[in-house]
Amino acid sequence: MVTKEEILKIANLSKIYVSEDELESLTHDMAQIIAFADTVNAVSAGTQEFEGISGRSNILREDEVIPSYPREEILKNVGGGEDGYFPVKKKN
Amino acid sequence: MAETKPTGVIRKLQKMMTDGSISCRELTQRYLSAIEKENPGLNAYIRVTPDIAMETAARVDEKLAKGIPLAPLEGIPMTLKDNISTDGIETTCCSKILAGYTPIYDAFVWKVLKAQNAVLLGKTNMDEFAMGSSSENSCYGGSNNPYNPQYVAGGSSGGVASAVSAHLAAYGLGSDTGGSIRQPASFCGIVGLKPTYGAVSRFGLIAYASSLDQIGPITTTVEDAALVYDAICGADPMDSTCCGGEKVTPSLGGSLEGMRIGVAREYFDGIRQQDVTDALNNAIAAYEKLGARIVPLELPVLQYALPVYYILACAEAASNLGRYDGIRYGYRTSHYRTVDEMICKTRSEGFGPEVKRRILLGNYVLSSGYYDAYYKKAQNLRQNILRALEDTFTQCDVMLAPTVPMTAFPKGFTSQSQVETYLTDICTVPVNIAGLPGISIPCGADKKGLPIGMQLIANRFCEKTLLSAAYGFEQATWQQHIAPAPMGVML
Repeated sequence: MVTKEEILKIANLSKIYVSEDELESLTHDMAQIIAFADTVNAVSAGTQEFEGISGRSNILREDEVIPSYPREEILKNVGGGEDGYFPVKKKN
Repeated sequence: MAETKPTGVIRKLQKMMTDGSISCRELTQRYLSAIEKENPGLNAYIRVTPDIAMETAARVDEKLAKGIPLAPLEGIPMTLKDNISTDGIETTCCSKILAGYTPIYDAFVWKVLKAQNAVLLGKTNMDEFAMGSSSENSCYGGSNNPYNPQYVAGGSSGGVASAVSAHLAAYGLGSDTGGSIRQPASFCGIVGLKPTYGAVSRFGLIAYASSLDQIGPITTTVEDAALVYDAICGADPMDSTCCGGEKVTPSLGGSLEGMRIGVAREYFDGIRQQDVTDALNNAIAAYEKLGARIVPLELPVLQYALPVYYILACAEAASNLGRYDGIRYGYRTSHYRTVDEMICKTRSEGFGPEVKRRILLGNYVLSSGYYDAYYKKAQNLRQNILRALEDTFTQCDVMLAPTVPMTAFPKGFTSQSQVETYLTDICTVPVNIAGLPGISIPCGADKKGLPIGMQLIANRFCEKTLLSAAYGFEQATWQQHIAPAPMGVML
């Protein structure tokens, strides 16, 4: 059974805050979901290593230089950026 | 047999444009007006792009005036799911965390369609990051079913399915990670094709689970699905898993005499409505009448396909969604003291509850101490499922199965229990696990008048066989199909 402490640990690894109010219902939901996922451990079938879907690997090609996206276009998604960079506030 | 068998909408509209009975601008305007009228009741579109649509239509009309022949999808009004990147048009995956994000490049599929003047009417609704089965996990609210707005359109590509079913677009592109094209197509009485993994480039598709995601068409007929598939399949150096596929349209219409149709009992065990079972039995009988041979199959591996799917999909999602930190695009929290706090607050405020649950499950199964028991085990079981499904194609050419064990859910159903909702994906996830192509086509209606879908599945890169089988059924049984939803642009 998954505990509140475990949920908080995973949430921390996931960089998601869980409030006191949310923790109860989230732990309840996650317990059900993890119990559902756990049914794979009841499968007794022998298994093999997963080989990928296509069975193809390492198809090589020559390196090719292609243009990058323009920096100013990319920075439009943060309102233009600052001095060509993504702005983040300094630590107070 | 009546003479007016269903022909594709795409060819019909193009013929009308080339013979001068309607201009592309008039046609586009009719769709835009229909969207204005019907969309408030359906919530299929979350962003309409009238200027782009009319500009494209004007270019098509110029070509028509000069008598220049049109490309197969040229001038046809269509829509894209909101996880397909569109240069200069906001693309949000229906998540608050991508609010305001405008891509600076086109997804491969949109690049090829744009190059042939496909008329983009707008972007359509979906479950946030394609995680869900009803579109209700969208930050814009759910999409409604054109057959009855008290029922969901399905998901995650619910907006595309609702729009196409209501004739608010001639076709649309969705994405399918565990059934997100086929399930809403089934719920909305239309056709949804999930191509073989690697047939269509995923470049510019905002990732959910990269080893399972695939883009495909949602249309009203099999012929339209074939035409759209032919336009978007092809190798792309920007997606290293994509090697392209063969064109299918030229081979439609062949006889089904001697085709072997596999029927695995396990797919039918979970059906929850008698009318769904009846519709599928009728479909099997129709195939026999067309000369196909029914081959009974056993697929015990299907019993663990669902947990395998959810473990792998969530593990991949947890990694893919790690990129949303509020630094480079989309939503950023307004008050924070440290960078770490900024990232955590941005993610906590930006992601909806189902996305958070799946990220947590994903990181749980990948975390130290649980990795072998969950992720590794699921990965190895994936190999078992893949081999078992591949082996069935030594005995049959296509498999026939339900698309969903039931018809459309009433609104609000999916919020009651996550695991209950996950269980409804039982018939669609095996195809993604094994990278196979699958199609959902209409095969009747239930007592409430809601559409029932049938799923056909073929071996990898056997889209020709898959679509021929679907086309043969559609042509032979179209009279028994559910009538189109009486709204939108019906020409």
